[in-house]
Amino acid sequence: MSLPEFLTSLDSLAEQAQAAFTSADSVESLEAARIEYLGAKSGQVRQVQQGLGKVAKADKPAAGKRFNEVKCLIESALAKAQQQIAAGSEEVVEPFDVTLPGRPSRVGHLHPITQTIREMKDIMGRLGFTAVEGPEIEDDWHNFEALNIPLSHPARDPLDNFYLATAEKLEKALLLRSQTSTVQIRVMENTPPPVRIISLGRVYRPDTADATHYPMFHQIEGLLIDRGVTMADLKSVLRLFCQSYFGGEDKVHVRFRPSFFPFTEPSVEVDMNWQGGWMEMGGAGMVDPNVLRAVGYDPEEVTGFAFGLGVERICMRQHGITDIRALYQNDVRFLEQF
Amino acid sequence: MIVSKNWLTEYVDLPMSVDELTERLTLTGLNLEGVETINDDTAIDLEVTSNRPDCLGHIGVAREISVLWQQDLKKPAPEPRAAGSSVDSQTSVTVKAPELCPRYTARLIRGVKIGPSPAWLVDRLRSLKIAAINNVVDISNFVMMECGQPLHTFDFSKIAGQKIIVRESNPGEKFTAINHQEYELEPGTCVIADANRAVALAGVMGGADTEVSDETTDILIEAADFAPLSVRNTARRHSLHSDSSYRFERGVDPAGIDWASRRCCELILELAGGELAADVIDIAQPVAERPTIKLRFSELPRILGIEFSADTVQKILTELGCEETHLCDQCIKVVPPSWRADLTREIDLIEEVARIYGYDQIPEDTGVKMVASTRSLEDRVLEQVRTTLTATGFDEAMTISAVDRSWVDLFRPWSTAEPLVTSTPVLRRANCLRQTLVPSLLAARRTNETLSNPIIELFEIADIYLPQAGKLPDERRILCLNSGSGFLELKGVVEAIVAAVAPGTELTAAEYSAQLLATNRGAELSLTGHTLGYLGEVSAWGQKQLDLRGETTIAEIDLGALISAAVAIRTVEPLSPYPPVGRDLNVVVDEKIPWAEVEQLVRSGSGSLLEEIVFQEVYRDSERLGAGKKSLLFSIQLRSADQTLTNEQADEVRDNIVAAISKKLGGQLRA
Repeated sequence: MSLPEFLTSLDSLAEQAQAAFTSADSVESLEAARIEYLGAKSGQVRQVQQGLGKVAKADKPAAGKRFNEVKCLIESALAKAQQQIAAGSEEVVEPFDVTLPGRPSRVGHLHPITQTIREMKDIMGRLGFTAVEGPEIEDDWHNFEALNIPLSHPARDPLDNFYLATAEKLEKALLLRSQTSTVQIRVMENTPPPVRIISLGRVYRPDTADATHYPMFHQIEGLLIDRGVTMADLKSVLRLFCQSYFGGEDKVHVRFRPSFFPFTEPSVEVDMNWQGGWMEMGGAGMVDPNVLRAVGYDPEEVTGFAFGLGVERICMRQHGITDIRALYQNDVRFLEQF
Repeated sequence: MIVSKNWLTEYVDLPMSVDELTERLTLTGLNLEGVETINDDTAIDLEVTSNRPDCLGHIGVAREISVLWQQDLKKPAPEPRAAGSSVDSQTSVTVKAPELCPRYTARLIRGVKIGPSPAWLVDRLRSLKIAAINNVVDISNFVMMECGQPLHTFDFSKIAGQKIIVRESNPGEKFTAINHQEYELEPGTCVIADANRAVALAGVMGGADTEVSDETTDILIEAADFAPLSVRNTARRHSLHSDSSYRFERGVDPAGIDWASRRCCELILELAGGELAADVIDIAQPVAERPTIKLRFSELPRILGIEFSADTVQKILTELGCEETHLCDQCIKVVPPSWRADLTREIDLIEEVARIYGYDQIPEDTGVKMVASTRSLEDRVLEQVRTTLTATGFDEAMTISAVDRSWVDLFRPWSTAEPLVTSTPVLRRANCLRQTLVPSLLAARRTNETLSNPIIELFEIADIYLPQAGKLPDERRILCLNSGSGFLELKGVVEAIVAAVAPGTELTAAEYSAQLLATNRGAELSLTGHTLGYLGEVSAWGQKQLDLRGETTIAEIDLGALISAAVAIRTVEPLSPYPPVGRDLNVVVDEKIPWAEVEQLVRSGSGSLLEEIVFQEVYRDSERLGAGKKSLLFSIQLRSADQTLTNEQADEVRDNIVAAISKKLGGQLRA
């Protein structure tokens, strides 16, 4: 007899014996079932045990082990059935309280900023924008000059930036980037159009930490450069983004308000309709021809749009966080709510 | 910029409601900040972007309204009547710093009577939250808020030598401003001086000595242009910001200076009396002529995505004050008005057309081209890392990228270079760009300990900044872990990460000591021979440095190394249909023999049959095993791809292993 055959016969024996014991409704019928299966001389278990001798020698340990397990199982089924009959029809079971709490499995939580960024990246990815990252410590060219922010521009003021102390001259200074547009410059310098990216990460500005300001925060910026990209495309992409991010069942619209940024012209602030009013989303515009020229693109050939969203602001509004510092305090009780 | 509704009506009719007015202004560039009712007036606070200083006066805002609602703009034409002798026979102006002061005009009025302003003027200023002082000062404020050109009035009798000199400050020069504070002037500050001393900080603030007082009878009226950068620096360096400096920083209308001076004089004569000296002193650098800008009509749809008729474009630009010099089917050429220094290029005109026409006309449902986006390997790996970590019970923390200098030397596995330092601290005293995340995460642990949070399992993914001479720093993305469990537990988490990202890659550990780590509880981790990171239990010293109460373990992983080893696409191994056979082993070896060596031998000695080796435990007992000995319990699982293994085959593998351990490591099978 092969091992698999033997094991199968064991399994079916166990099943039959259990069924017989369970269905017995009197001491007599149970005793009859006992003799049928566990009878010392000609019970079925005894018979199967004899079959053990026919199993190949190499398989004997495995077969023997399983036989013992099955025998124990049948014996305990009998004991249970005997108890049950002794106690009348009542099933005797260990007390068990299903309302007890489950055994805890500790699962960690991703930071709300990570979750917000992930959602934004997912949506923009579906809209065909590839996520890119770049250095947080930047040079003057990428943080300012190539972005059409000349040396005389107030945005370069040392009071508005974290310059590194090593630098001798402002033009050569390195600084903690004040915007993620720097990454767009790096990508455009190294890639011929079309370009369709979002850049994201930490940015730094010398704000005193309070409920709505922190010297470090996160930005996500989109950039699309190609032939024939228009402001209507910008509006449409932003609407699709807002629809995916916030919309749900409601139909989302976006509106533009004129604004001013050195690296875009025209420049606009973007709002989306939200709970009966308008909610500020961020800044956007058509990439300034000076920026296109700075990276070696021909503004007569290609056009493009860019937009930037503050991750913290959107995250805080969505989750009802009222103090930005809570995001960086890392209180586990806070983190575990996300 | 607060504008008064009543005041605006002097220049333009307002047939619309305040809501309609502010809504439209918001959508065309003057964002509504707030509306307040002040007596019978409505004060409207508008945000003016830095490129639009022309809207820092009521006439500028009225001009926008006149274009948007097709109303006439009524601008006063001041013609003050002069009576006295020529101004340049009574005073002089010398501009020694023409690059800081492109234009300076002076007029002189003698015999004024200083007194309170009439109610209409006080009301105008009140709506703008400007306190009334006296008729002359109020008039200069009124004119500034009317046209955006700041003015200054001096008590002429206090001007030593009756002369005005515009120059850079002298070394160590002191100046007392109208706020009666004394300032030591930074070198290079542009000042208005008389024969003896500075009497005003150009474009920023007047001086106490020459301010107009109740006794003043003769006044000199300054209307000038000062270089924006110079004014900004002066205001910043001396922390003196004023309505005047705000406007000069953004640039004033070079053609509006004399208008403002005349307007001011006209009102002074009307409200304070006196006699205006004939003529004006006007020291002006030549003003570059405004270039003609060509706007090709084809550019409008190319940028904005909608078509415009030539008529619409022409109407918008000319109503905004542009002078049309050419118009054909293809393009329009215009010279922008003097008050719009921001209009220099074709794209600037496109923005003007778009914002006046209305951005709401741009559709939000164009068929944007569909393209495939890609996800970087780094993003995929970070996703696997985060998934593994949340599954193993870690919460993600975020800490700031700069640290206090005192944290830098606590743990420096990645670099011993002096850290990069920001010239102003990023937060409190934190000015060093960090080279490890460990102290930051331990500080987050301390925060949680202080809050009595019982379970503190944290990780962070962020950059460290390693200086490189002459280059941008080497920014490395790092994963830092901090746990309340011990070395082996945290090592298990790191192994789980490696298994998730780079299955089948060999992770090795070597002893690593650092003051932050407890003696012999630190390790350097490597992945196929490259440093992956560091792991260890924090020493008592380390706990003390960071005020930690409980024991804790840290790990720091170079994600770049992990990403290099990542197996992006998995391929399946065929599964054997045959059952496995296990063997337990218990070998006694010298204490100094690390498990890794035993494991290595087992792997090399088991041939292709070894499926898994599972370490069970290490057991030490000097009486039973002998001093300096330990016993290692482990099991192996063997499986063949093409047959059911026999006991004899399994025993042979085990015997080979035992023989190799005995021969190479001097180990013995424990009976």
